[in-house]
Amino acid sequence: MKRYALFLGCTTPTKVPQYELSTRWISNRLGIDLVDIEDFVCCGSNQINLSIEAGLLLSALNLAYAEAQDLDIVTLCAACTGVLVEAVEELEKQAVRDTINKKLSTIGLQYNGKTKVKHISRVIYEDVGLNRIRKEIKRDLSNLQIAPHYGCHYLRPRCVSEGLDEPDNPKSLHQLISATGAIPVEYETLLDCCGGKTFPNSVDLAHHLIAKKLDNLQDKEVDCMVLHCQTCYLMYATQQEKMSEKFDRQYNVPIILYPQLLGLAMGADPVADLGLNLNVPSVDKLLTKVENEYKVRI
Amino acid sequence: MYGQPIRVSELDTNFKHEVMAHEAAHDITACFSCGTCTVGCPIHEAYPEYDPRKLARMVNLGMRERVLSSSYIWYCATCHTCELRCPQNVKFFSVLNVLKNMAAKEGYAPPSWVNQTQQVMKTGIVFATEEAWVERREELSLCPLKGDGEEAAKLMRLTGVGEIQPRAQL
Repeated sequence: MKRYALFLGCTTPTKVPQYELSTRWISNRLGIDLVDIEDFVCCGSNQINLSIEAGLLLSALNLAYAEAQDLDIVTLCAACTGVLVEAVEELEKQAVRDTINKKLSTIGLQYNGKTKVKHISRVIYEDVGLNRIRKEIKRDLSNLQIAPHYGCHYLRPRCVSEGLDEPDNPKSLHQLISATGAIPVEYETLLDCCGGKTFPNSVDLAHHLIAKKLDNLQDKEVDCMVLHCQTCYLMYATQQEKMSEKFDRQYNVPIILYPQLLGLAMGADPVADLGLNLNVPSVDKLLTKVENEYKVRI
Repeated sequence: MYGQPIRVSELDTNFKHEVMAHEAAHDITACFSCGTCTVGCPIHEAYPEYDPRKLARMVNLGMRERVLSSSYIWYCATCHTCELRCPQNVKFFSVLNVLKNMAAKEGYAPPSWVNQTQQVMKTGIVFATEEAWVERREELSLCPLKGDGEEAAKLMRLTGVGEIQPRAQL
C-alpha cells in the first residue's frame, strides 16, 4: 500500500484529536502508511479571503514540504482537501508555478507538480477498496441507521471529486458506510453546508445553516450522522448544546467521524483506539445499541 | 447594498476591468444574470441581501464602492455550489475572492480573517497554542505540534497580507 504524508491541518490536531486518533488506527490496520511532516502549516484556505496569492503560497509551501520527501498528501479536512487540490491544479500553469517557486526559493523550497492530494475517505475508497473493508468487519453495525454528510469541499469545486463522485448526487460516502455494515439513510438536506466558514463572521448565520440539517435528521430519528471533516464535526456536534439553549428545541444527534465508524466496525476499542468518549453529544446510546447486537465473525 | 437607487454618476465604468484584470475573475462578463447561482446559495436563503447574481451585475455596472464596502461579501460559505451550477462557467467563488482581496486592501476585511492570518504567521496554524490541547494530545499519545510559523511568515511578508488592517467590525 502507498505511503502518504498526513496533513493534519489546524483544527483536527487541536480541537478534534479523536479524528486523528481513529485515522491512525484504521490506517495502521489497512496498510495505509502515514508519514508525519512536522513543518506542515495552515493550508491557506482562509488566507485566500485576503490575498489569493498568500493562500496559494501557503498551499504551495505544504505541497513543497511533501514533495521534498517524495510523498503524496492525505488530508482529513474537507476544506484543506479543496484548497490543496485546487492549488495543485492552479500550479500546473507554468507561469503561476514560476511566480510561486520564485517566492518559495527564498526559503530554499520548490514545488514541481509531483505531489498530489487525496482526502482520507478517498484513499480508503480507492486505494483500500470496499471489498477489503467488508473483509475487515468484526462488529455487526447492521442495526445502525446513519445519515452521511459529505462536506462541501469533499465534492466541490469539481476538480476535487473528479473521477470519484458526482457533486450534485454523491454516493461514495453512502458506499463507505454500507461497507461497514451500517445502513446509510437518504434525507432531504444531504447537500447542505455546515456553515463552518461563516462561523468566524456570523454565529447566527452558522446556526441557521446547522439547524436546517439537524432539524431534518432529528425528525428522521437517525442513530447518528457520519462525516469526514473536523469543521463539519465542530459545527454539527459542538454547537448542539448552544443551539438547544438558543432555539426552542433539544438537539441530540450523535455525530461520528468516518474513521471512528470504520474502526468500530473493525473491532477497535471505542475509547482507547477511536476516542469516541470525546464526541459530543454522547454516543453512549449508539454504542450500547451496537454492543447489545455484538457478534464476532469467525 | 439593497433597495437603493442606482446613480449613473456614481458608477465606475472601469471597475469590471479592474476586477477582470485578475485571472481568477476573468469570466465575470460572461454572466447573463440567470440567477442559478442565487437559487442554490445557502447564504442567500438566510440573508436575501447576499445575492451572487446581484453582485455580478453590480460589478459589471461599476458599483465599486457599494460592492467593496458591503459586509455581505464576507458571509459566503465557500460551498462552491454557485460555480458548479453556473451555465456560463463563471467561477463566482473566485470572482468573490478577487472582490474580497480588493476590499481587504481598502480596509474592509473583517477582524476574523485578519487575526487568523496573523496567527498563522506566529504558530503556523490559525490558533494560538493552548495548554488544554497540548495535554490532550499527550494523553492520547499523539505527537506534539511544532507550533512554528516562521517559514510561513517569511512567505506571507512577500505578499503584503500581513499588513492588512481590519475594519472595526463586520
